[in-house]
Amino acid sequence: MRKAEITRSAHIDGSVHRVVSAQELQNEWTPELRLAVHIGQESDVEAVSRLRCGGLSNLGWIESNTLQPGDVFVMRRDGTEATVLFRESDRHHALFLTNRCNSRCLMCSQPPTSQDDSWLVQEALETIRHMRRLPSVLGITGGEPTLLGMGLRHVIDAILRREPSTRIEVLTNGRLLGDKALADSLLRGLPPLVSWLVPLYGHVNFLHDFVVQSPGAFDETLNGLLTLRSYEQPIQLRVVLIESVLKVLPELCAFVGRNLPFVREVSMMAVEPIGFALANTQECHVDLGDWSASLENAARVLSRHGVRQILMNVPLCALPETLWPAAQRSISDWKNIYPEECRQCRVRELCCGTFAWSERTWRPTAIKAIEKAAT
Amino acid sequence: MSVYAPIVQPFNFRRLVSGEWLAISESGDFTFTTEDELDALQNNVARLSLERQAELKARFFLSDKSSNTGRARLLASRRAARRSTVAEDPSLHIVVPTLQCAHSCQYCQVSRALTDSGHAMSPDDVEQVCSSIFESKSRVLTIEFQGGDPLIRFDLVKHAIARITEINRLERRSLRFVVASTLHQLTNEMCDFFAEHQVYLSTSIDGPQDLHNRNRPAATRDSFQRTVEGIQLARHRLGAESVSALMTCTRTSLAFPDEVVDQYVTLGLHDIFLRPLSSYGFAKRNQPLLGYSADKFQMFYERALKRILHWNRAGVELREVYASIILNKILSTFDSGYVDLQSPNGAGSAVLVYNYDGFVYPSDEARMLAETGDRSLRLGKIGTPLAALTASKVRRRIVDASTIENFEDCRTCAYNQYCAPNPVDAQAQFGTMHVRAPETEHCNRHTWLFDFFFEAVRTADDWTLDLFHRWAAPAGSDQHAQG
Repeated sequence: MRKAEITRSAHIDGSVHRVVSAQELQNEWTPELRLAVHIGQESDVEAVSRLRCGGLSNLGWIESNTLQPGDVFVMRRDGTEATVLFRESDRHHALFLTNRCNSRCLMCSQPPTSQDDSWLVQEALETIRHMRRLPSVLGITGGEPTLLGMGLRHVIDAILRREPSTRIEVLTNGRLLGDKALADSLLRGLPPLVSWLVPLYGHVNFLHDFVVQSPGAFDETLNGLLTLRSYEQPIQLRVVLIESVLKVLPELCAFVGRNLPFVREVSMMAVEPIGFALANTQECHVDLGDWSASLENAARVLSRHGVRQILMNVPLCALPETLWPAAQRSISDWKNIYPEECRQCRVRELCCGTFAWSERTWRPTAIKAIEKAAT
Repeated sequence: MSVYAPIVQPFNFRRLVSGEWLAISESGDFTFTTEDELDALQNNVARLSLERQAELKARFFLSDKSSNTGRARLLASRRAARRSTVAEDPSLHIVVPTLQCAHSCQYCQVSRALTDSGHAMSPDDVEQVCSSIFESKSRVLTIEFQGGDPLIRFDLVKHAIARITEINRLERRSLRFVVASTLHQLTNEMCDFFAEHQVYLSTSIDGPQDLHNRNRPAATRDSFQRTVEGIQLARHRLGAESVSALMTCTRTSLAFPDEVVDQYVTLGLHDIFLRPLSSYGFAKRNQPLLGYSADKFQMFYERALKRILHWNRAGVELREVYASIILNKILSTFDSGYVDLQSPNGAGSAVLVYNYDGFVYPSDEARMLAETGDRSLRLGKIGTPLAALTASKVRRRIVDASTIENFEDCRTCAYNQYCAPNPVDAQAQFGTMHVRAPETEHCNRHTWLFDFFFEAVRTADDWTLDLFHRWAAPAGSDQHAQG
């Protein structure tokens, strides 16, 4: 979770708050929200005090260089740390529903914990309530959000009640969706704006089960995918490019093309070099530049079956030019950097760059500037 | 022992002409293999490399003792997808308004001269057909007019299309009209009507002028010229993609594979259907004149397909329809709905033919058979409720005679995931449906086609395999619409 440095008034407690500017306070104030006035000048502090004395007890103030009006945050760890829940200016937005998970993926960027964190659902609902306006795309992530059962559905419904045109992307391993009762309560009547991002790491059970360190997971995910299909839910498959997967990528794509052609697209993602990935470097530390042929073959197989391919977290200098159109600027703003080498690059604007932590661990390939403009 | 230890599932295999082995699993997935690997599969699968075991497991050749709920569900859905078109209500409705035709093709069994006005559908029957079609619950309805030449009775065609369109205002199905015609009688007025109702035209081009005129003689001796003029008129008035064509390969055609293909390229057609003439598809007296052996057609087909691939490589888009049908079975998991290879056969369930004689038949072949005197395949009179037609004795006989599980020859055939007997063809060839499949032309031809295309797939370069996959996608599917 992203942290922010702030100074705050005593009235900012452990509830979820929206940051507002002093100028906009009048327009944005309603009694059921908690608001943190972003202090621009000394007089703003006094203004907040006056308003509180006047009875507006849902107000406080903060000073912060990182938080901006429209952002949503909460104080954690007994009020010593501000956690950013929503940042209006980001390109990617997600609600974090749980840190628990039923898989233990080798390359997990955010290793799960087992403590009860069901309060996160309430926090997510509060976050939704405190957004000024909802972004056009909002992710729901974890951990494994389907572990929350109806809690997940409540969050989806809350989003759609506030803004029915929001595209919601739920990141899930789909393993629990084989449970008919759970699937039905989660999926019945969902509008097609909700889509499901489901990881698949093999064309065969023993490979996928190994990568997610959970026997039986492959079969459960297949079952979940078929359930999603039966509810006509849009699906994006997510394939993380670790060595075991890269070795079989064309076969994996053939499996998808022949068995799961109903998916909307397959997203192939470079490893985020953090979390469990650091403990499994043999699998995770690859130079994607060495795997061009495998990536190109995979693209070819998918296109033969009419399945769209997306590449995420892969800088363009790791890819043959034929695959550039599939590459997306996918790295969340706050994790994203462009190393020194990118300064001279002609396609930097089209490129995802790298994860900030790559500089301390490893880069997805030998980063180099591309001289020639994209054709 | 690990729960992942491989357990071999039922599969079929076959040696291709090249000596390579082909294996096909229950899911319809296939793999090229070796004698040694087949031995491993039969005796000691564990000696295969883990990588190969993974490939075979992903293609349903192998299973294991781990939980298999998802796998079983996937296999069931794969199998169901292959039968989807026959499991649903009729979507192809063929209407034969008249047998009259300006041509007197030697290989045609049915057509009657222009002066013979007796072989036309009664107005009452036309009216009845229009409402009967909607008894099908199919969301998509294709209504195809065959003949004879339907344009000779444009009055009936026009009435039917208008009436069906009117009924559809309430029904709101997705309609597709096709008129199969020589196009000799096509006029501007007809085109205006067809444009209004989005009617597609299907015609015959047998090859270059001389060949076409020889195959398809008309009294005026200019049948090629007039059909080409019809194509041009239709394109001008209805759009570039409004006309498709198919060819019938006669004994004369056999010597001209390149010329036939080139003629399609010259005409700017994007589909070509290389159709063999069945040895029983015309009056017996014409057999010596028109008939040819299967291997003669195979040579013709191979040469013509080579030419088609040559043109595609040069950037000319031209798809061979028979190849598409076979490649759909091999390479796609979306069934293109070709009823003659379905088990059970789709005649009388996916397709119904409303004939000028007042009866409903299960397929085009069946109503042609009736013209030779065998009327045993009538499903019922026009107006018989759909439920009665699909429950009819004839339909039940077709189902029994085309369900592969019923036949030892089919149960052991490598291609039984893709193919099935065609009872109507068998009846036409032998006068009975109860013939062992390997004795039928249907079986021989399709076994050869599967052999041929598996070998073509095995040896294909990337470009060719890309093309084969495009051909394999069901026509009208949006499978390749995405970028």
